Amino acid sequence: MPTLVEAVNLTKTYMLGKVPVEALRGVNLKVEAGDFISILGPSGSGKSTMLNLIGALDKPTSGTLLIDGVDISKLNDNQLADLRRRIGFVFQFFNLIPRLTAKDNVELSMSIADMNRAERGKRASELLETVGLKDRVNHKPAELSGGQQQRVAIARALANNPKFLLLDEPTGNIDSKTANEILSLIKKLNVEHNVSIIMVTHDQHLAREAKRVVQMFDGQITSEVVNQE
Amino acid sequence: MKTVDIFGYSFSAIKLRKLRAALTILGVVIGIAAIVALLSITQGLQATITTQLQKGLSTNTLIVTPGQSALAQATSGSSGSGAGGQGFNLGGSRASSGFNLYVNYTQVIDALSPEIDGSFAVIERSGYVDADGINSSVTIYGVNFAQYAQQYSKTFVAASGTIPLNPTDNETVVGTLVNNPGQNSTLLFKAGDDVGIVWTNGTTLPVVNETYTAQVSAVLQKIGGFGVGGPSDSGVYIPLSQAESFFGTDQCSMIIVQLKSSNNATVTDVSEDITNYFGGQVSVISATAVLSLLSTVFGTIQLFLGGIAAISLLVAGIAIMNIMIVSLIERTREIGILKALGMKSRTVLNIFLGESVIIGVIGSFVGIALGWILANITAKLLASGAFGGNGFRVTPLLTPEVFLGALGFGIGVSVIFALYPAWRASKLKPVEALRYE
Repeated sequence: MPTLVEAVNLTKTYMLGKVPVEALRGVNLKVEAGDFISILGPSGSGKSTMLNLIGALDKPTSGTLLIDGVDISKLNDNQLADLRRRIGFVFQFFNLIPRLTAKDNVELSMSIADMNRAERGKRASELLETVGLKDRVNHKPAELSGGQQQRVAIARALANNPKFLLLDEPTGNIDSKTANEILSLIKKLNVEHNVSIIMVTHDQHLAREAKRVVQMFDGQITSEVVNQE
Repeated sequence: MKTVDIFGYSFSAIKLRKLRAALTILGVVIGIAAIVALLSITQGLQATITTQLQKGLSTNTLIVTPGQSALAQATSGSSGSGAGGQGFNLGGSRASSGFNLYVNYTQVIDALSPEIDGSFAVIERSGYVDADGINSSVTIYGVNFAQYAQQYSKTFVAASGTIPLNPTDNETVVGTLVNNPGQNSTLLFKAGDDVGIVWTNGTTLPVVNETYTAQVSAVLQKIGGFGVGGPSDSGVYIPLSQAESFFGTDQCSMIIVQLKSSNNATVTDVSEDITNYFGGQVSVISATAVLSLLSTVFGTIQLFLGGIAAISLLVAGIAIMNIMIVSLIERTREIGILKALGMKSRTVLNIFLGESVIIGVIGSFVGIALGWILANITAKLLASGAFGGNGFRVTPLLTPEVFLGALGFGIGVSVIFALYPAWRASKLKPVEALRYE
C-alpha cells in the first residue's frame, strides 16, 4: 500500500500576538491509501493545525511531513498550490463560492487545474450525480440546504481525482439526519470508490465510524484505536 | 488556470456587484470621454485650419513683408530675440524700423535667384464699401488681377460675374461677405452694380475720406475663415495701379514670390537670399514654416487639454483602487477557498487584474463613443453659431492614434491602480484567509 501521509516528529509553533503557542509537539502519523482515519480531539488539541498541514495550507516548524511522498517543508508557494490540487478539501462551513451554481463550483476546482471546458462540464455532472444532486445542478448555494451544500463541496473535492479527501468537521454545521446521510456518502466513497479519507472532528460518534481513530490532546497523539468490522 | 477561465471568473465577480462596477466604469468613461472629445475637436480644428491655410498658401510661394514678424522669428529659431512674447501673428507685426517695401522691389526680387518664377506686390488698407448708403467694413487689396488669379487659382474664383484679367481702373472684385454679410438671401449689391470705395486717409490733417465709384465685375466664391496671405471673404480687390493712385503711395504691404520648385532646399535658399538682400529688414514666410509652427502650437494645446482630461482619469484610477481594496477585504475568504483548491498566487493576482482590464475595456470603449458624440455635438453648436460669430465649421477628427491611445490609457490606468490591491490579494495566506469572517 502506498503511503499518502507520513508525519515524523512534527511540530508547529505559531505566534498568538507576542505569545508563542506550541500547537503540535512531536506528532507521528502514517496514513495509507484506502484508509479511513479520523483525527479526534477537543478544541485546542492541535487537530486544526494538523488539518492545515496535511492540507498543505501551512508548513511545519520542524519535523518532516511527506504528502504523497513529497516533503512539504521543501516546497515553495507555487509547488504547495500544485500539491493542494491533489488533495480534496471539504470544510465545515462548505465554503462554496456563493455566486456560482453547484455545477460551476464543482467545475471551478477543475478549471484551476487547467482542465478544458467540455471535459469538466461532463465530469461535474457525473460527480453531482454520484453525490445525489442530479436535479440541483444549476442551483446556487443559497438555494440549497446545508446537507446539499456539503454534497456539492464533496463533489468539488473529488473533481481532480485527489489522493485523499480531507474533511474538516464535515457534519458540524448540519442536522443529525442529514449528517447521517453525509456520513453514509463518505463511507460509500471509501468502500465502493476506494477513496482514502482523513477526517478531523471533535465529535466522538462521528469519529468512531472511521476505520482508525487517532486521539489528539495538547498537540500530541495520545491514543489510536483500529475498528474491526 | 486558462486565460479565458480567469476572465470568466473575473467577470462573474464584476457581475455580482453591478452598481458598484457601473460606478467604477463611469469614472473611466468620463475621463476617456473628456480626452477623446477635446482631442478630436482640436485635431479637427487643426485639420480645418491647415486645409484653409494650404488653400491660401501654396507650398511654392513665399510671402515677403517688411520688418521682422513674430512668425519669422519663431520659425527661424536663429534670431532668438524674445520670440515667445510676441505671439502668433501671420501678417507680421511690423517692427518700427522705418523700412518699407515698394511695389517696384518685385523687379529686384525677380533678379535675386534663378529659382524665382515671378513676384507681385499687394497693397492693403482698411476701408469701407458704400452700397446705396450702407457702409460695410472691408480690407482693400491692390493687386495685379492676372497674377493674383494665377497664384490663387483655387480661391480667387468668381461665383458670379467674371474676374477681368485686364481690368480698367474702376473695376473691382469683392469677397462674398462684402455683398452678402449675413450669408443669406439679402444681397447688398450684385455683380455689375456700382459701389463706392472709401478709404480714410490718416496721412493728412485733418483726416480725409477718399472715395471713388467702382463697378463690381465679380463676386468671389466662399473661401472660409483662414485665407492667410491669399484672398479673403471680406476683401475688396482693386487693380494695383488704381490702388497706388487712390492710396497715394507705391509702398506695398507684401510681395508674393512664386518659386519654380517647392522643395525645402529651394524654399530655404531663396528665403535666405531675400532676407539677406534686404539686410534682415524683411520677413519671409513660407507655407512650410507656417504649417510647422501651426502644428507646434496645436501640439501644445492638445498636450495641455489632454493633460487636464487625463487628471480626471487619474481620479477614476484612485476610485478603482479604493473599490478593489474594499472588494478584496470582502472576498478574503473566497481567496482562501481558491488557494485551498490549489490556485496559485499569480492566478489570484490575474483574477483581480482581469477585473480591472474588464472595467478598463468597457470604460474606454463607452468613453470613446461618448467623447465622439460630445465632439460632434460641440461641432454642431460651433457651426450653428451658438458660441458667437457666424458659425464656424469644424469636423471632429478621431485619428487611430487618439483611438488607440485612449483605449490604452483607459486600460493602463485601470490596471496600474489595480496592481496594489491585486498584489495584496495574491499575498494572502490561505490559512488566515480561510479563518476570516
